[in-house]
Amino acid sequence: MNFAMALDYQNCINCKACEIACKYENGVQLGADKQRIWVGTTEKSIFGKPFSNFYPSQCNHCLDAPCVDVCPTGASYFAEGGLVMVDKDKCILCKGCMEACPYDARFVDDKYVAVDKCTFCYDTRILQGETTTACQATCPTKVRLFGDLDDENSSLVKLLKERKFFVLKENEGTVPKLLYLFPQNDKRFAENSISHSTTLHTWETFKPLIEKAKEKRGSQWKSM
Amino acid sequence: MEKYVVAGLEINKVSIKELLFNNTMLIAYLLLALGFYGVYEVFHERYFLLTANVHDAGLNPGSREVAHAMKEAIFGAGGEVKREQPWTLYIVNYMYMIYSGSAIIFLVALAEIFNIEVIKKTAAGFMTFGLAMVLGGLFTIAADLNILHMQWMFLTPNFGAGMWLMLPLYAIYIPFVIFEIYLIISKNSIWVRKIAITILLLSIIIDFIEFYIQAKLFDMNTARHLWTTYPMLTLYFIISAFVSAIAIMIIYSMVIYKDKLKDEFESLINLLRVSALYMIALLAIYEAIAYLFIDKNWGAIILFGEFKFFFYLYIFFAIGLPFILEFNKHTNKLWIIIGAISVIVGTYLGRYIFVYGGNAYPMSNRFGTGFEKYGEYEMVKEFIFFNPPISEILVVVGSFGVVLIVYKILETLFSVSKVIEH
Repeated sequence: MNFAMALDYQNCINCKACEIACKYENGVQLGADKQRIWVGTTEKSIFGKPFSNFYPSQCNHCLDAPCVDVCPTGASYFAEGGLVMVDKDKCILCKGCMEACPYDARFVDDKYVAVDKCTFCYDTRILQGETTTACQATCPTKVRLFGDLDDENSSLVKLLKERKFFVLKENEGTVPKLLYLFPQNDKRFAENSISHSTTLHTWETFKPLIEKAKEKRGSQWKSM
Repeated sequence: MEKYVVAGLEINKVSIKELLFNNTMLIAYLLLALGFYGVYEVFHERYFLLTANVHDAGLNPGSREVAHAMKEAIFGAGGEVKREQPWTLYIVNYMYMIYSGSAIIFLVALAEIFNIEVIKKTAAGFMTFGLAMVLGGLFTIAADLNILHMQWMFLTPNFGAGMWLMLPLYAIYIPFVIFEIYLIISKNSIWVRKIAITILLLSIIIDFIEFYIQAKLFDMNTARHLWTTYPMLTLYFIISAFVSAIAIMIIYSMVIYKDKLKDEFESLINLLRVSALYMIALLAIYEAIAYLFIDKNWGAIILFGEFKFFFYLYIFFAIGLPFILEFNKHTNKLWIIIGAISVIVGTYLGRYIFVYGGNAYPMSNRFGTGFEKYGEYEMVKEFIFFNPPISEILVVVGSFGVVLIVYKILETLFSVSKVIEH
């Protein structure tokens, strides 16, 4: 198993139902800045035509995660399925992982005096037999699709074979697993609205990257 | 003064009152008391802040504690670091104290290798003050960690993590420096001469490793391009620490050795003054080159943005003013002191803009800038800048108390500042 998530970000209407569902499902600390997932907004203009994009985001569960490397106590670790997890009992709050994360996906949970982040609902839903995360289940416009990259017949891989996609900050070299689907309609507008340096992937170009990263870090995956 | 001799080490026979209740110690206690109040504030915030999640709210709908926690969640500003307040004065002070203290020890070991007599005679005093500064820095950083989970540093160590490497580093480094000081002040002079070179070489290697690991720690913060794009961060830490270390050594010499060294005092001050000039020049060259390499966004906010005030103060106090004041060989002692104080203030400001500047852009200016960082609940800012909370300022004040206490106790017991011929 190699869990990942595809995001059809052009469908996002910024209702924030995913943020609420995440807090309910996972018991995330209350507070506006205590979020495992969030919806980001960019506002730009192309030749005077303003537009905004919503980018739902969370921990990318990078296959080559720098946050795991910097953790002095092993509190941040790779779990089965290539998930990046935090053992709150071991966290000494050095905040090294918060610094190392290129996506700023971590925050301090003051209730447990430890760092917290998205778990892809692995402990609260997936281990209980559910097949979706809370954010996916609640999304009214079906932005997210959670699945297994190792299963060629999974809905996720089938979707990735059909659509182009990109990841954020690919040149950080962390092999992130939030896969943003490139819009099918109005491609030129979409191409202009994302950075010119962003690489558009197909399943064929991305698969070798994840296989290589899994080969490198797969031995560190721990069962839960 | 009557003395005990243990393993060649002379220990002054002093009363508890002389040891713990002299004027220096009373000032140190006051500083430490302020520091502990800061620690109390930090711990209160960390361990006793009322917090709640949705489950608490659902299970205890009538609870006043949950109501207060929800109020705190909405209106409060408590809790640990936030996205808009990542690393603060703790780190500035930690860097300053540890790097400057280590640099003093490094420089003294280097001078011993090169057989510089006046430093050899004063080595124990300088090294003890350097060690006290290292401990003051560790006091600061200890307040920033969740000490209740520290056992996991031993139980499940991640040997490759820079933060973990600090543990064996200081576990070796501090006893090693203590052993070095012991060798200098003890009467085992024949034995000392036999292993002196080995110990000094080891000391320099360990010092270098210390700077390397510290630099690695910052360099691993891939989201902070000010730090990761600084060329040869280890070298930067060493040069900037040497500048502050020499300034501290000048002040220390003025206070301690002015009367003790007599004729040699002039040569000591002149040596430190000339060393300061070289190091200041090196720092100026390094900074000028470094700003050609660092991420342009960070460079821009530091040179032309909101940090420019601090940056130009740093350049003025750490480089410009002291270079002028220390340049003249026949300069008045007062100017040398003012120059050294200027360096101490300036290099502290340098650490400040390095840490705060590094935090200014949590993300690089690539695709996605801003939106991962700023939720819609927060006002979008181009960079982050904030003043340190009072609790952190007090912890920093407390670290000065730690320095004084450690130094004064060792001085009272072992007369580390006495001029030693060896």
